[in-house]
Amino acid sequence: MRTKLALAAAGAALLFAAVPSWAHHAFAAEFDAKKPVKLEGTVTKMEWINPHAWIHIDVKNADGSTTSWMVEGGTPNTLLRRGFTKDSLQAGTVVIVDGYQAKDGSNRANGRDITFADGRKLFLGNATGSEGAPDAGGDKK
Amino acid sequence: MMRCVSIAVLLLGAPAFGQTSPAKPSAAAKHWVAPRTPEGAPDLQGTWTNATITPFERPGTLSGETVLSPSEAATLEEQAAEARIDRPPAPGDTGSYNQLWFDRGTKVVGTRRSSLVIDPPDGRVPALTASAQKRQQDAATYARQHPADGPEDRSLAERCILWGTAGPPMVPGPYNNNYQIVQGPGYVVILVEMIHDARMIPTDGRPHLPKSIHQWMGDPRGHWEGDTLVVETTNFTDKTRFRGSDENLRIVERFRRVDANTIDYQFTMDDPTAFTRPWSASIPMTRSDGPLFEYACSEGNYAMTDILSGARAEEQRTQ
Repeated sequence: MRTKLALAAAGAALLFAAVPSWAHHAFAAEFDAKKPVKLEGTVTKMEWINPHAWIHIDVKNADGSTTSWMVEGGTPNTLLRRGFTKDSLQAGTVVIVDGYQAKDGSNRANGRDITFADGRKLFLGNATGSEGAPDAGGDKK
Repeated sequence: MMRCVSIAVLLLGAPAFGQTSPAKPSAAAKHWVAPRTPEGAPDLQGTWTNATITPFERPGTLSGETVLSPSEAATLEEQAAEARIDRPPAPGDTGSYNQLWFDRGTKVVGTRRSSLVIDPPDGRVPALTASAQKRQQDAATYARQHPADGPEDRSLAERCILWGTAGPPMVPGPYNNNYQIVQGPGYVVILVEMIHDARMIPTDGRPHLPKSIHQWMGDPRGHWEGDTLVVETTNFTDKTRFRGSDENLRIVERFRRVDANTIDYQFTMDDPTAFTRPWSASIPMTRSDGPLFEYACSEGNYAMTDILSGARAEEQRTQ
């Protein structure tokens, strides 16, 4: 009879086995773990492309100026199959991005965690309230 | 060996679509016969996914346990659901993006095997040969010294040339684990979503390409053994790697549709210059609504330019 501990360890092994090592490697090569950023900005454009979608946002700085940032997401194919589309994130929507800045110092960051202003998860708690988009937890398979 | 394993999979319970515990094999399941294409071949067509949370290799903590109990499987599925909750990454790790962008699957395979590797019996990939280990070590040393001089220093996936899980063998990855099978006279075609690769598999008995010709995904040849499509692939490049394989890889895949919603997919890796012995894995393919979407990898590969410019910026900083 397997102990709970053995299963817990197996479960932990699952998490690390699931993501190929090169996937993390790519982000570590692109973004700087020593440069965390927290951005609040307005969506201006959504690049619904592969290999990674990019969300363009305008961030208002303390001095009133505006800086444009690009935020990297995942593959849109997954979201399309969940019922979300490019229009699920409309221009003008406010989002909060928790991520890390690009190593080359440009205004790019990975969207490690993207939420709406009220804390709801991106797409899941869709600001436009689009119908027909299922929760991510509702796997059809 | 393959035949015994195929029968064992069938008897353990035809993997039932969407269930965590294998259904007891009914008389209908044992005698299920795949419909035929107009050419009379078993029909494997449709959109399929191989996403699963069953680990590729059996974790050390489960050694000796070939099949999980229903409650162990349920526990692993709960843990996988827990893992899909967003959490901050560890210090020094940039993380990537929110969990909803991933699609690793939610369930163990229908047979509840504790690993996708089925041979050797310990469920783990055999050791690499000494020369393959040296090749890996040399590559790792080079990569540390030249992480990003140019695109050629980056992985085939980052270069949008070949995805690591596209194969053959075709194994699940972090997302887009989708395949579309189309059959016609003399061909079976497998469209692999990552990276929109079409495996054109002739079934007309023609010989392989000459040994001097090497292809990223090898050169496949298919034939039918009863209701099983057997595909042998050779002629790989010396840059194609799967778990350490090299250009001498000969992989045999077997596809057998066991019910309306499941293809029993198994493969054997034979590469004597890379692995100390052949090894095999079994990964069911489950019918999926799909559709596949075009993964036009090169259309917006900003990550590649960012990685290179990031490396140049770091060099400036250390000068």
